[in-house]
Amino acid sequence: MSLINTVYAAETAPHTTAESTDGGVLATLGINSTLFAFQLVNFAIVIAVLWFMILKPLTKKMSERQKMIDDSIDNAKKIETNLGMSERKYQEKIDQAKVDANKFIEKAQQEALLVAEATKEKTKKEIEQLVETARKNIKTERDESINELKEHAADLIIAAAEKILSAKIDVDKDDKSIEEAVKSLK
Amino acid sequence: MELHIPTLAPETIFHLGKFPVTNTIVNVWLAIAVFIIVGLIIRNRVNLKPGKIQNFMEFFLEKLLVYFDQVTGDRKKTLSFLPLVGSVFFFILLSNWLGLLPGTGSIHIGEAPLLRPANADLNMTLAMAVSVVVISHIVGLVTVGVFTHIGKFVQLGGLIKSFSKGPVAIFTAVINLAVGFIEIISEFAKVLSLSLRLFGNIFAGEVLITVIASILAIVLPAPFMLLELLVGLVQASVFTMLTLVYLTVMSSAPHGEHS
Repeated sequence: MSLINTVYAAETAPHTTAESTDGGVLATLGINSTLFAFQLVNFAIVIAVLWFMILKPLTKKMSERQKMIDDSIDNAKKIETNLGMSERKYQEKIDQAKVDANKFIEKAQQEALLVAEATKEKTKKEIEQLVETARKNIKTERDESINELKEHAADLIIAAAEKILSAKIDVDKDDKSIEEAVKSLK
Repeated sequence: MELHIPTLAPETIFHLGKFPVTNTIVNVWLAIAVFIIVGLIIRNRVNLKPGKIQNFMEFFLEKLLVYFDQVTGDRKKTLSFLPLVGSVFFFILLSNWLGLLPGTGSIHIGEAPLLRPANADLNMTLAMAVSVVVISHIVGLVTVGVFTHIGKFVQLGGLIKSFSKGPVAIFTAVINLAVGFIEIISEFAKVLSLSLRLFGNIFAGEVLITVIASILAIVLPAPFMLLELLVGLVQASVFTMLTLVYLTVMSSAPHGEHS
């Protein structure tokens, strides 16, 4: 330290220090009313610059982002709730549709059974009618056949009698005997 | 080799009319210029999707807000105090760190160094301390009401009421009145302690680096400069936290007010 020539600025440059004209403890500590006021103004400027140019925009943007995140979370929750509700409604509708479908199927089956029964009954009736008609026709045809057969048989009998008797018979008697023969056939 | 140990008072560089401009004021202007540049950058780039610079600053600010929340206990309160405490923190931090710029204490105009840390000027620290304490009282007056706030210091109401309650109550009221006066004194002590602590630490750091640099100007000051970085951060934190405590205490109703 002997090489170092320690020079206290207070001694070497008393004219440069701001408080040199004041006296007392405050002056010793370097406090000067003008400088104090100057620094107060400077501090106010610092606060204004820092707040309005840096901190306020940043905090504002951070708040906006926080609000956006909160809103997004709320919306996501709402969407999730709505989705759950929609899924429940969808499931309810599906269940209802299944129930309705089962009812329709059951009803259709019942209707089909009824239709089948009715058709069956109708067919049965038609068949019976056909059978009846056929029976009637058969009876009619049989009667006609019997009548024809009788007529043919009468003719044959007459022809045969004429041939066998080979006798000449009066026409009126002939007709009468024929009719009697026919009646007896009936 | 001459050793220019900084004086307690800042050195005048030039005059603006009648007003002296000291090297600490130059340092404050430098800090303001840095803040304006950063502010302009932020204004142009601030976005909901932050870029690198914004992301870094928001990270830093968010960490700071979490610390502040521990004192205030309420984010809303923290944000209402942020204009003052945030500004105090960043200003002290930057001005302390600016003191480590090459040229501080070594570039001279005449016999006075051009740059000197702003907080190595008691006028600056005193201005900040006075501002903080005065603002804390304004906050107290606004938030808890004029009479409640004054009642924290001058407890005459309690003394008057105590006359009807007996000697013990009177004794307690007299003690409370005395405590109130001590509280008034402590408000002045706040100003002194805030200003002298910050000034003392930063000024001591300046003196230390000056002395170390005079022994060996290369390499040797580096560890001390790193230490000064830490001191700058710690002192900014201490001043800010104390400011926040004062604001929180002043904005809270005194004990017994709630009931």
